[in-house]
Formats: sequence, structure tokens, C-alpha cells
Amino acid sequence: MKSSELVQGTLDMLILKTLALEPLHGYGIALRIEQISKGVFRVNPGSLFPAFRRLERAGWIKPEWRPTENNRRAKFYQLTTLGRKQLKAETEEWGRQLAAITRIMRAPAISDL
Amino acid sequence: MFRIRSVVAGLRALFRKRQVEREMDEELRDYLDAAAKDKMRSGMSREEATRAARVEMGSVDAVKEEIRSAGWESTVETTWQDLRFGLRVLRRNPGFTAVAALTLALGIGGTAVVFSLLDAVLLRPLPYPHSERLFRLFPLEGKRKRGVEQASYADFRDWQRQSRTFESLAAYGGDSLNLTGTAEPERVQASTVTPGFFATLGVSPAMGREFRSDDTESVAILSYAFWKRRFGSDAGIVGKPIHLEGRAYTVVGVLPSQVRFRSHPWATPASDIFVPVVPTPARNWHSVRVLGRLAPGVSKEQALAEMNGIAARLAQAYPDSEQAQGIAFQPLAQYVVSGANQTVWLLLGAVAFVLLIACANVANLLLSQGAAREREMAIRTAVGASRGRILRQLLTESLLLAGSGGAIGVALAYWAIPLVGRIAPPFSSLFSRLEDAQLHLNWTVLGFSALLSVLSSVLFGVLPAWKAARPAQSTLAASRAGGMRGGLMALEVALSLVLLVGAGLMMKSLIRLLEVDVGFRTEHLLTMQVSLSEAKYSTPEKQAAYFDQVLQRLAAMPAVLSAGTVTDLPLTRNETSNGFEIPGPHPGQGTAGYHAVSAGYFRTMGIPLLNGRELEIGDSANSPLVGVINRSMAGKYWPAENPVGKTIVVYRYVAERTSAGTHVQFKPHMLEIVGIVSDIRQLGLDAPPDPELFMPYDQWPAQEMSLVLRVGAEPSWLIPRVEKEIWRVDPDQPVTDIKTMDEWVAREAAGRQFILLLIGAFASIAAVLAAVGIYGVASYGMRQRTHEIGVRMALGARRQQIVWLILRQNLSWLVIGIAAGLAGAIALTRLLASYLYSVRPTDPSTFALIVLVQLAIAALASFVPAHRATKVDPMVALRYE
Repeated sequence: MKSSELVQGTLDMLILKTLALEPLHGYGIALRIEQISKGVFRVNPGSLFPAFRRLERAGWIKPEWRPTENNRRAKFYQLTTLGRKQLKAETEEWGRQLAAITRIMRAPAISDL
Repeated sequence: MFRIRSVVAGLRALFRKRQVEREMDEELRDYLDAAAKDKMRSGMSREEATRAARVEMGSVDAVKEEIRSAGWESTVETTWQDLRFGLRVLRRNPGFTAVAALTLALGIGGTAVVFSLLDAVLLRPLPYPHSERLFRLFPLEGKRKRGVEQASYADFRDWQRQSRTFESLAAYGGDSLNLTGTAEPERVQASTVTPGFFATLGVSPAMGREFRSDDTESVAILSYAFWKRRFGSDAGIVGKPIHLEGRAYTVVGVLPSQVRFRSHPWATPASDIFVPVVPTPARNWHSVRVLGRLAPGVSKEQALAEMNGIAARLAQAYPDSEQAQGIAFQPLAQYVVSGANQTVWLLLGAVAFVLLIACANVANLLLSQGAAREREMAIRTAVGASRGRILRQLLTESLLLAGSGGAIGVALAYWAIPLVGRIAPPFSSLFSRLEDAQLHLNWTVLGFSALLSVLSSVLFGVLPAWKAARPAQSTLAASRAGGMRGGLMALEVALSLVLLVGAGLMMKSLIRLLEVDVGFRTEHLLTMQVSLSEAKYSTPEKQAAYFDQVLQRLAAMPAVLSAGTVTDLPLTRNETSNGFEIPGPHPGQGTAGYHAVSAGYFRTMGIPLLNGRELEIGDSANSPLVGVINRSMAGKYWPAENPVGKTIVVYRYVAERTSAGTHVQFKPHMLEIVGIVSDIRQLGLDAPPDPELFMPYDQWPAQEMSLVLRVGAEPSWLIPRVEKEIWRVDPDQPVTDIKTMDEWVAREAAGRQFILLLIGAFASIAAVLAAVGIYGVASYGMRQRTHEIGVRMALGARRQQIVWLILRQNLSWLVIGIAAGLAGAIALTRLLASYLYSVRPTDPSTFALIVLVQLAIAALASFVPAHRATKVDPMVALRYE
């Protein structure tokens, strides 16, 4: 199945949403987004990691080094209180926009009449 | 909150670079591991999974670059990289860098010099609080309502009493006074001021107080500089007496150091002493300059309306004597720079041309460089540099160039600014302002130069960078670049042509001015001024006796051939003119310059007698009044007759001091014209002869006279002896303005010389830069066509043909440049008109000469590379590339 381009500016929101459940590391987040979207969205590391950097700087997510099973450490990201607030705000905004866009798309066009 | 976190993280990335990079590597490796493990779970072998994960991620370096550029610190990093790389590029091409930086240094440095003038003359405020509310007031007179400098004291008092829109009004005048009593007698520059004058300026004395309305006439206020120089900063000076004009004055105050007041914009030096204005009640006697401070919140228009109402009422109340029909205002800040502001803007315009030429030149150099760096740009683009990234890199290089050019330019300016201050023409408002505001390289000038550097880097850098960031893919683009180069060259030619024409016109004016026949022999003529103290020489007899003795002593000196005296020395911008009447059956009236002279004046000056007789020793106070007129006066008032033997009515100024002030009157006297002398330039070199009337000083005594000595040798060594000889008659009379007549002539030329020197310097720089530009374009063209030249020569083309080939490709742009320059010059030399003397702004011969000069420069600059082209070995040329 062909993967789609993400709608501009939604990657941050998706990352926040994936982290809302539990802290994850980079690949975990990418995998989760792919799985939940049933493979529609595939995020490549080139946009994923800069997004982490952005969100971290904004104070919405917090990195944490955790040991992995093979005696190495991995960087896990978790949502901060500020991030949770942001997610709520973005979710609401997204809902409003989605409803609006849907209304526009459903409106009868001349060819449909 | 976000900001702080971002700054901290950015700084950490910058300064803990290795740790941050390590963490990034670790995170990416972990990601790859996880991805590979995931794929192995779906059945891939370890190798396959690892490879697949890597393929999915793409270039690890590219991902890392993406991550790095997410933070602000990456901008800092790339800028730093760009700077280092730019420096390397500039160092690798020392020739190019040196030429470009020097070119910019000339442009930026020159502009900084002129800007420092602008800063001192126009930008720095007057040293008075709220000086924007200070205005000069001028009475408007006659049917045409001409504004005149001075108002009558009576008018001033009425304006002062009736005005509500002005917080305060004050009046002042200029004078020079003899200071005696201590050390050598000295003539000091003074201002007469009304009570409350300094309060109007917003200045309170540093010591003592200012004048009050209940002061006597014999009080004085000293300037800070004079108090320091003449009285050794005596802290107890207030209350002490000083002797002015033989009378005792009490010092009541000393001004603060920043106040340097001049009774006239070009009065030099600034006033040292201030004494009260002596009231003159006559309404037609214009003796004071009026200054006002607007009340807060009052607009200029409101004040004008009120003052014009007052003037109208006065004109109605005193229909016989009142001359002011209205009142005009000028901000004091504008008044003190009248004349200077035009000069400064003119010079700034001229130097802006130089800067533009410099920028065009460097742009051209960069375009040629860009062609040489095409390979580099192609590689950078191939390895993934974006166009914006390359543009940024190139602009950083431009900024570096402009920065180093600016730094050298500021160093040049630091050296040149005092030089300009030194050649500023004395007795001009420009000179006064520079002296008061102190011309130097200050922070404003430095800031302006920095700004100018950045601005010029954009000006010269954008076009070449834009061009280089898009390497020429087609011959079309290449030819467009050729057009750009040609266009820039034409621009340089045009701008430098305008400057050269300007300099040429000024040069011609100055030559014409110095060629003027002044009507007397200026060489070996020593001049000086003596002003007699009022108290000591109170009667005309005493005054005449003093000058008799002085002249006798001076004439007896062995080195002195002859000696004379005159009230207004020629070529010093001084002239006292007055009306006269011609009685008889056809009465008439006229105006002439009134001069009191000694019998030997004409002989000493070398002014030939045309008709009748000279003034003689026998024309004394007891014999009938006689006078000699000049040819202009004879021609103007007696065109068809011989005026010798005719009688005219002249008016003598008589001042009478009473308790109400000084009453001034003009008393009529009959005078017989006994001779006619030829015309001389009286007022100045550029002032055509006017009617002049000369009378013997025994009959027409004066307090202030100039002495002229015709000497056998170089006059300057005589000065101390002459002074001593004069002091033998009276040691209390200061001798001032001891100068040779040639010095006065030089002073007359100083204003135009100043403009010529600066515009000439700018034009020379412009011409050299334009020549370098033409040379650059021509040699670039030659290099581009080396191959073609080789082929042509191999096929038997002659040298002249090759030279012509190279010359021809520049010719059309050169012609366009010259045409544009001519059009520009015709449009712009009008701005020079007021500085020109007997040369029209569109003087055809100057224009023609300059075009020839410009063509010669262009031909020479393009001939050198063209000639080099013919030296190309055809074999080498064919292997070229």
C-alpha cells in the first residue's frame, strides 16, 4: 500500500498523540504512527528527529535515557504537562478544522446537481 | 519559557558539540537497530534487515543535517562557516581582494568624510535647550516685502511688548571693541545684546548673571574661552572692571563653555565679549537682529499671524517712519548654516557618485570572479547545496569585502577629516559651524560608515551572487552577464563624467576669478586695520591727527614706498554705501560706496587717475568738501557730461548720545567732484564695479580705517616693525587683520577653492575607478576570447584587427555611458550654478573637453588589454581551455 504524505504541520500533533499513552523511543513512535494509520502514514527519520528536536525545545516532550535489553541505552520521549495541554488544544483545533473541511467537501458541486 | 529552553539547548549544541553529536549518533543507531529487529521478526535475515533499514532511512548524514538545522544554533554555525570560508576565498585571491577592498575604501571613506561634515554642520543640534523653538525674525520691507537682516530697535521693543506667542524676544548686534589695560591692546569680537538675551537662548551664565533691564551701559559678559585665555580663568572676575574703548566696564558674568555665539553666521571668531545694546530710537535706523523663543505649544503659523498683525498696526501708527510691512521667520538652526547646508548636500551628492562607482566596479570584479568560480558552484550544487545556501555564502563574502573596505575607509577618513576642516573657507557659515561643532570622527560617523558598508555589500554583491548561484547553462545567460558587465561599465563612465564636468566647471570658474583684473596692483601690498577708541579719540580732529601721524611715520620707513589709508579695504567684503543727490536744473539721486581715504591712497594702490585731480594734503577740514568718483559712478550718473567740477549733496552720519539712547542723523553737505579714478573690484573679486565716492579723511573723519603700504620687498617680514611704528603714536590702539593684499585675494577664492578641491578629488577618484572598471571589462573580454583570437591570428589576422576587435566590444557601452553622463551633467550642473563665476553650468567647451578626457581615459584603459591580446601565441591560444 502506498504511503501518503502527512498533512502539513500534523506530524507534531501525531507525535504528541502517540506519546500520550506511554513514553516511546524514536522507532517506537514511527512504528506506532504507521500501525495506527494502518500503513497510510510512514514517517521517515529525516522529518521525525527534527520534529523531536522542535518539540523538545518547545518543552512539550522530555527525553529520557533508558537502558535497553542489550545493555545499551535508548532515548525515550515522554509527554510533559505542557505537552498534554498542547495536545488537547491541537486536538480541538484539528476537530474544528476537520469538520469545516468536511462540510466544504460535502457541499454539492455544480457537476453533482 | 520556550525561549529560554531553546537558547539553553542551542548553546549546549554549540559548546557541547561532541556530546550532542554522540547522543544523536546513539539515537539514530538505536533507531536502525530497532528497525532491523522489527524486520527480522517478519522473517528477514539479519543482513537483509539491516540493509533494508538503512535504505529506508537514506543517508544518515543527511538526516543528521536535518536534525542540526532544526535549531537556531545551526544559523550561527553556518554563518561562522561562511565567514571562515569567505576569508579563505579572499585570501586565496589577494590581488582581487586588495583591488576590491581599496576601491570600497575610497568610496566608503570619502562618504564618511563628507558625512562628518554633514553631521557637524546640520545634524548636531545647537547647544541651546529646545533649540527648535528658537527663530530669527526679519522685517519685510518695501512693496516687494524683501526680508532684511536687521530691524530697528524701536520695532523690536514694540514686538517684544506686544507678542504673546513668543515666550521671549531678544535683540543683538555685532561689534568689535578695543580691549586695553592689560598686556597688548587687543581688538575683540563682541556682540551687543538686550537684557534677557541669554534667557531667550536658554543659557544661564556659568558665573555671575546676565544683563538686566536696570543695568547701566557699562557692564560686560565674557565668553568662556576669552575668560580662560585673557584672564587666566580668574575665578573672581565677576565684579572686576575691564577697559573697552577706553572706558571701564564691570564684568557681571561668564558664559558656559559650550556657548559660542556669533553675531552673524560667518562672524569669526565667535564673540568674546557681550555688552548691552545701546538703544537707537529712530524707527528707520536698522541696528539689531531679532531672536525669539516660541512659547511651548505655539505653532510657527500662529506666531506669524500674530507678528504680522503687530507689524501692520505699527505701520499704521507710524506711517512716516515705519518701514516693516510684515515679518518673516527662520529657525535659528537653519539661519546659522545658511549657505553651508547647500554646500554640504552638494558634496554629499558628489561623493555618493564615487561610492556608486566603487560599488559598480566591485560588482564587475565579482561578476568576472563568478565566471572563474563556475566549477566550484557547480560542484557545490551537485553535492546538495541549495541555491539559497550558495547565495548566502557569496553575500557573506561580499559583506567581508565591504567590512574590510569600510575599515580601511574609516582609517582614511580619520586622516582626511581634519584635513577638510583645515581647508574649510574662513568667514563662511560652514567654517563657523565646523569650529563650533568640532569636526571629528565620532560614533555617529562610525555608525554611518558601518551601515554604509553593509548597504554597499548588498549593492555590489546581490547581482553577482544571484548570477553565480545559477551557473550559466546557456549562451543566452552568458551573454546576459556580458550585458550586465557592460551596463555597469557604462554606469561608471556616466557617473564619473558628471563629476568630471562639475570639477571642470569649478576649475574654470576659479581660473576666471583669479584672472579678474582688480584694477590695482595686489602684489607687495601690506594691509592692516586700526580702530580708535571712542573715549580717547572723541572728536574728528583727534581722529584725523592720529592717522596723519601714523601715515607720516609709516611713509618714512625705508622699506615702505608709499602709504595710504581707506575706510573699507577692497576685496574684504566691506562696504558702506549711502545715498547722494544731484542738485541743479535736472535733480537726481543715487547711491554710492562712501570711502574716506588719504591723499596717497590711489598712488599706493596703483589706481590710475582718469580725469581731474587726486585728493591732496591741502583738502583739509577747513577747505570746501571735495571728492573723487570712480568711472562707474561717472558713467552711471553723468553718462554724457564730465562730472569734474559738479557739485553733489552727500550725507554724513552723526550719532548723538542722550539718555534715551543714541540718536542717529544724516546731515547733508555740498561736495565738489574734483577727479575720476578708474574702477576697481571693491566688494570682492566676483562683484562687478559699483559707483564709489572717495573723500579725504581730514574732511570725512573715521574711527576705523585700514592702512595700505606699498613695500619694496616681500611684505611679511615687515609686520612687526610696522606694528611697532604704529604703537609709537599710541600704544593703546590694537592693529588687526595684518595681511598682504594677496592673502585677501586668496581668501576671496577660498570658498570656490574648497568646493573645487573636494569635487576635484572625488572626480579624480571616480575617473581612476572608472578606468579600472573599463580595464577590467576589457581584459575579461579578452580572456574570454583568447581561443577566438588564436584562431583569427592563425588565419592571418593583423594586430590592428585584433586590437579593434577588443576595443569594439566595449565601444557601444562606452558611448551609452558618455551619453548618459552628458545628460546627467546637463541636468545636475545647475546645482553648481551659485558657485560658478562667469561660466555657465552648461559651458560647451568644458563639456567637450571633459568628454575628450573621458574618451582618452577609456581608450587607454581598454587599449592595454587589447594590446596584450595581440601578444597571444596562437598555439597557446588554441590549446586554451
